[in-house]
Amino acid sequence: MERQVVTAGPVTHLQGDDSLISAARDGDRAAFGRLYDRYARMVHGILLARVPPREVDDLVQEVFLSALRQLHALRDAARFGAWLAAITRNRANDYYRKTGPETTLTEPVSENQEENRTNDHAVEEEAALILAVIRTLPETYREPLILRLVEGMTGPEIAARTGLTHGSVRVNLYRGMQLLREKLGQTTPGARFGLA
Amino acid sequence: MKDDYLWDGSGEPDPEIQRLETALGRYRHNLPAPAFEAIAEIRSKATRSRFLTFRLSFGLAAAAALLIAVTLFTYLRPKPATDLGPAWDVARLEGAPRVGSHSISANGGIGKLGVGQTLVTDSSSRASISLDEIGRVDVDAGTRLRVVRNGPDRKRLALDRGTIHATIWAPPGEFVVDTPSAVAVDLGCVYTLHVDDSGAGLLRTTLGWVGFKLNGHESFIPAGAVCATRPKIGPGTPYFEDATPAFREALFKFDFAGRTPEERSASLDVLLAQSRSRDALSLWHLLARVSDSERARVYDRLLALAAPPAGVTREGILRLDQPMLDLWWNSLGFGDVTLWRTWEHDWSQRQTNAK
Repeated sequence: MERQVVTAGPVTHLQGDDSLISAARDGDRAAFGRLYDRYARMVHGILLARVPPREVDDLVQEVFLSALRQLHALRDAARFGAWLAAITRNRANDYYRKTGPETTLTEPVSENQEENRTNDHAVEEEAALILAVIRTLPETYREPLILRLVEGMTGPEIAARTGLTHGSVRVNLYRGMQLLREKLGQTTPGARFGLA
Repeated sequence: MKDDYLWDGSGEPDPEIQRLETALGRYRHNLPAPAFEAIAEIRSKATRSRFLTFRLSFGLAAAAALLIAVTLFTYLRPKPATDLGPAWDVARLEGAPRVGSHSISANGGIGKLGVGQTLVTDSSSRASISLDEIGRVDVDAGTRLRVVRNGPDRKRLALDRGTIHATIWAPPGEFVVDTPSAVAVDLGCVYTLHVDDSGAGLLRTTLGWVGFKLNGHESFIPAGAVCATRPKIGPGTPYFEDATPAFREALFKFDFAGRTPEERSASLDVLLAQSRSRDALSLWHLLARVSDSERARVYDRLLALAAPPAGVTREGILRLDQPMLDLWWNSLGFGDVTLWRTWEHDWSQRQTNAK
């Protein structure tokens, strides 16, 4: 029963984003590290909704490095979350452009080889199945669902981080959850590989 | 309202959502921030270097040459992350290790590992990282290892899980490995470090000695000794592997399993009764880990096994006077703790400056 706590704390620190962004623009890397701490789960969740799990950690770092390089171009500090989310979605799209079958420089690696997160294969398989089902949902729903169910963010926190309205996030969470329930209800063990 | 639970975790918990949270929690982000400061420093140097080159080569011919060089660099570089600083060579020993999404079984089995990149070996692959002039790290199967920093005076890896064998000839304190439950600092040595899926670790030193640290909890592990570490607890008490089974079992209980003062006291009884001369290593560490009321018992046993040098008093040790503790450690012959204190001071300052 690990990591199922929903965290709402960071929302209270959002007022400090402006000063952190300003400091980061002036070369304060510790300030940028603080922004990383605040937004890493959002970036991670958005990527997890789009690319294979084994690629996500590396891409998170690439997104933040890209943001660090482009920070001077951010005009409205209050939109940092939405701006970072856009960079993240673009990076996920780039991933598929660069790793298409024609341009792959390396041997393909089987999904079964990649992550040994636990010895409990049954639990691991169930998690992989659920994630795969979420990833079949429309983008509008899968992103808030992953931020809520995987990253442990609350609805208000998702709204604050991504720059969306509470109403929009709330509706997408409920509709997404409804769809997920329906899909999981239809899913049988034999059908799971068709869902990935 | 069960819907409230989906929205913000309040209200009556929805068991189905809780089940999903539990199952999916394994994918949650849990990596610390990379060393942006180091990366920016490297990039800044690179920028200055490019500017100087431009000035020196001012002129049409030179500008044309620069343009060609930049164009070639842009098109031929394999991955953007590789321009973030020096990269180490990674050699495939077995199977198909990966750096990011790239398998290094191709290209002659050689790859590059730079700051921000991750080396992953599956259950059938192994790799070896050449740390240029400072050493080598062999990576066992089932390992995930990241490069956090590769600066001129500090190399820092993060071992998320798996096993590495490090042979380091860098100056003490220059090579550091983060684990989920402790930071391993090379003090001139050969060692093996293992981290399991829960974040618990085990460090075994073959040559020299290693420092293990978390939140002010520190352990020194000389050759022939091992030290376990646990998330949220940090490094346990190091011990020599030839200690009696009863001693090792009691030490484990004392460090990680003792829930009550009575249980820890019972474990301490066994430790004191079973300790040999070589176990002065463990008893010295225990001085700072037992309660004030038990410290005198540990002091007396350590005194019997390895008398302290001049300048170390019973009163000083009982009040945990650090210079006296260090003097006693140095007299045990496992290594000069000054190396550690120097590194720790430098490291603490960096941490403070980063805040």
